[in-house]
Amino acid sequence: MGFFSKFFKGPEVDMEKSNANAKKMRLLFNQVVENGDSYRLIFGYTEDVARFNYGFVHGSKTKIGNLIVGWNESMQTIVVVPMVPDLSGCGDPTYYRRSEILKAYRNKYPTDAFIIYPDKKGYIGINAYDWLEDESLYVYVSQEEELAAFTDFFMNQFATK
Amino acid sequence: MSLGAVGAFLLVLIVVFVIGNLWFHFVESLLERIKHLLTSRRDPPAWHPLPPDEEKSRDE
Repeated sequence: MGFFSKFFKGPEVDMEKSNANAKKMRLLFNQVVENGDSYRLIFGYTEDVARFNYGFVHGSKTKIGNLIVGWNESMQTIVVVPMVPDLSGCGDPTYYRRSEILKAYRNKYPTDAFIIYPDKKGYIGINAYDWLEDESLYVYVSQEEELAAFTDFFMNQFATK
Repeated sequence: MSLGAVGAFLLVLIVVFVIGNLWFHFVESLLERIKHLLTSRRDPPAWHPLPPDEEKSRDE
């Protein structure tokens, strides 16, 4: 009984590792965003799928970009900071203020990504999940509660339709 | 179908797979070089490393 219950339980989150990574995400975020502590954070990622056709070889390539996503309810602002899965560093932040963006909504197909159009020229699609196990591609962090809070904020306060 | 014919068919599949892979990586490297030539004059994007003491604890 004990063996089988353990066998069928599936993968478990290493909370120590998850908390350490959440702390590093906070450090990186606060380093580049002014008043960073006023933002709540989740880990998200973008997916860039490109098709290629090199003669008799064709297929698709997917590039994944890791992001620290911060949001501030009172300022109605989402900040996105690019980073790498090992959390060794991050890039410059991009601010999406609700009063300045063109539109924002949650996608339904093919993924339930959070879509923000800052203007007509481009958009960002933020994917976020409770926990992703593959540490080579994503940040190892458990964020069920924070993701629920972000989803609530996005859907009820930030989305434009 | 004889065992030899099955083996030959598998061999052909392996050859197609290997040549396809070589061709893919060859075209990718060419495209990468062209992209590098076009973008090498641009400033690299800003990068902020994790503070050093945190880096140390990360390695432990």
